[in-house]
Amino acid sequence: MAKQSIVPFGPQHPVLPEPIHLDLVLEDETVVKAVPSIGYVHRGLERLVEKKDYQEFVYVAERICGICSFMHGMGYCEAVEHVMRIDVPERAKYLRTIWCEMSRLHSHLLWLGLLADAFGFESLFMQSWRMREKILDMFEISTGGRVIFSVNRIGGVLKDIPPDMMRDFLSRLSDMEKDLRRLTQTFLTDYTVNTRLRDVGFLTKEDAISLGAVGPMLRASGVAYDLRTTGNYAAYGNLDVQPVTSNIGDSYARCQVRIGELFQSMDLIRQAAGKIPEGPLAAPVKGNPNGEFFMRCEQPRGEAIYYVRANGTKFLDRMRVRTPTFANIPAMLQTLKGSQLADVPLLILTIDPCISCTER
Amino acid sequence: MTENERNALTAPGGLIETLPPVELLPRVIEKRIAGWRLCQICAVTLKQPENGGVYYELSYSFAREYELHTFRLVLPQEEEIPSISQVYDCAFLYENEMRELFGVRIQHIAPDMQDKLYRIDTQTPFGRRK
Amino acid sequence: MDITRVLSCVGYILLAPFLGGLLDGMDRKISARMQGRRGPSVFQPFYDIVKLFNKQIFLVNRSQFFMVVSYLVFVIFSGALIFAGYDLLMGFFALTTAAMFLVLAACSTHSPFGALASQRELLQMMAYEPMVLLTCVGFYLATGSFQVAEITQNTWSPIVYLPGFFLGFSFILTIKMRKSPFDLSTGHHAHQEMVRGVTTEMVGSLYAVTEIAEWYENVMLLGILALFFINQNPLSWPLAILAVLAVYFLEILVDNTAARLKWDKVFSSSWLVTLLCGGLNLLVLDLVIHLL
Repeated sequence: MAKQSIVPFGPQHPVLPEPIHLDLVLEDETVVKAVPSIGYVHRGLERLVEKKDYQEFVYVAERICGICSFMHGMGYCEAVEHVMRIDVPERAKYLRTIWCEMSRLHSHLLWLGLLADAFGFESLFMQSWRMREKILDMFEISTGGRVIFSVNRIGGVLKDIPPDMMRDFLSRLSDMEKDLRRLTQTFLTDYTVNTRLRDVGFLTKEDAISLGAVGPMLRASGVAYDLRTTGNYAAYGNLDVQPVTSNIGDSYARCQVRIGELFQSMDLIRQAAGKIPEGPLAAPVKGNPNGEFFMRCEQPRGEAIYYVRANGTKFLDRMRVRTPTFANIPAMLQTLKGSQLADVPLLILTIDPCISCTER
Repeated sequence: MTENERNALTAPGGLIETLPPVELLPRVIEKRIAGWRLCQICAVTLKQPENGGVYYELSYSFAREYELHTFRLVLPQEEEIPSISQVYDCAFLYENEMRELFGVRIQHIAPDMQDKLYRIDTQTPFGRRK
Repeated sequence: MDITRVLSCVGYILLAPFLGGLLDGMDRKISARMQGRRGPSVFQPFYDIVKLFNKQIFLVNRSQFFMVVSYLVFVIFSGALIFAGYDLLMGFFALTTAAMFLVLAACSTHSPFGALASQRELLQMMAYEPMVLLTCVGFYLATGSFQVAEITQNTWSPIVYLPGFFLGFSFILTIKMRKSPFDLSTGHHAHQEMVRGVTTEMVGSLYAVTEIAEWYENVMLLGILALFFINQNPLSWPLAILAVLAVYFLEILVDNTAARLKWDKVFSSSWLVTLLCGGLNLLVLDLVIHLL
């Protein structure tokens, strides 16, 4: 019987983007079990509903995480808008869609860079993040912020993308697309990258569903589940969205799915820019919310649920975010069993962990 | 299930069904057999308007395809409920969080983190209500 | 005592850290430019060493200090042997002893990362040792001697007889210089699962000592590479230096265009290269010598 050793992985580890602690039980270099421990960035943000009124809370919701910032704000706003039965103007819905898809672009590019860093390919990491800078520039031009934009408000959005800015963005995206195709080709076809990604971290379709995996983790195991297809929020009802799936179920498949979603997002932005109508940016908000609602949206990492419960005063009873990483952690622990130590950073990154979202 | 309820399943926000706590485990097992996945478990701490007594509202959400079905439980603060982590493995994170942050008395969570999931200093900070 | 031997040896001991540091700085600069960044100054490694010596030293245990210093001493000893013109095989054995001291230094702490990384370092040694030994044998067959002084006085550059060995040696140089795709046990980038690998638990001046030892080792290895090109013609020396710089540039290029492989691939690929390049060359050389 091989000797077992316990390696404490994290919370301070150069390869982890955010602090999570895993006690890895190893036999030689094979992981037998992984015991997680979170709580290093728990800020208790959800308690702030008692102190900030429901309109101010948008700013708190946005600051749950830097990468998923826009969609947190949007999810919260949509949930409150449903409770108050506010009709958000069409232009605001399209603008939200465009910023959502741009968020998805920058999040996936960030992930590709971190993945390259995890398997030791630093130049690919630098190139991916250089691509990402172009998206951040677009954010800065349209909203004033690179990471946290604060353009969502209850009832609509605060800023506009005028037609000439829109045309400029579309041309930037076309330029980016050529470079992006070359970059993603390396991820998909390079020999050393393939040896690191293929056959690593298998997740079967049944396991993915029973463990509650969401997002690209689920889609890479062959389940075509993408909340954007329901068209229940923002302007997705008017856009053509096909879930990007893969049947393979290993880390290569997840990489493939996210790369596919990059190009899908560009296509969606073009669709939205073509259909966006004129109109006001926000609907007026009167009174206080009373009721509850479960809002679901498709974040870059998967399905996120925003639960809002209001009681008629200006302070909400409860706001709860169930982030996709929270749902993917059991799936990650399952893929870690039986893997090699060298694959552990890769498998942690394969769920695209956003621990600050998970712990709030 | 009525026609209205069936439509509500696919509407935004899904269907919310209130259950007495004893019916939780049987209904959850039904969901597991029918192939629903666990979406989220949430707790809210509320105060009774009449006597100021604190109670919890628990929401167990299940999803299949694009349908969403939530079981709503109204639980007095001292009452215990069984864990569903024996049926759905992934429930352990949500239930440990509810116990640690809210003080909901859940029995037999597998694996039990012994209140060390978040490692916070304050006891059940979300379990109080002003 | 031959004056050139003394000069060469003393020159190595005194100048190798500066040369090694400069090579390291150039490596960082070129890597940065390949990645589209500006990169630090070419003298940055020297500034880093000065900074490291100013840091507070945390010794996990006293034996770690002894091991690391022994590592440095043996690397200098092996390099000095080579540059003084003595036995090539002896020099490589001394280098292996130095590597063993590094492994012991990593094991002597109770860090799980150090222990796992030292296992990987041993695996790496198993991967490259065959090629290294074969190279020494190749030099003997090509020039009739293990002594470096006699190899440099050969009529023809050894590479004429040893092209396969040259290729094989350049291949395992990637492992010895700790570059992707073979930077398993420690590398220049800390973003791997072993944190910093064998050097995880070394801080301050102790870490500076390992850096300096690595510079000595790099200069020695590049010197062995130059040995393939040097013959009794003094014009072969600048050619050798150019060839060595070209190989160094290739190492940097490979580092920047490959992901890190896992230990099984490192092992299998280096043994494959050893058998193919080294083995075939050995066979052909043997046949040629017997026929002539």
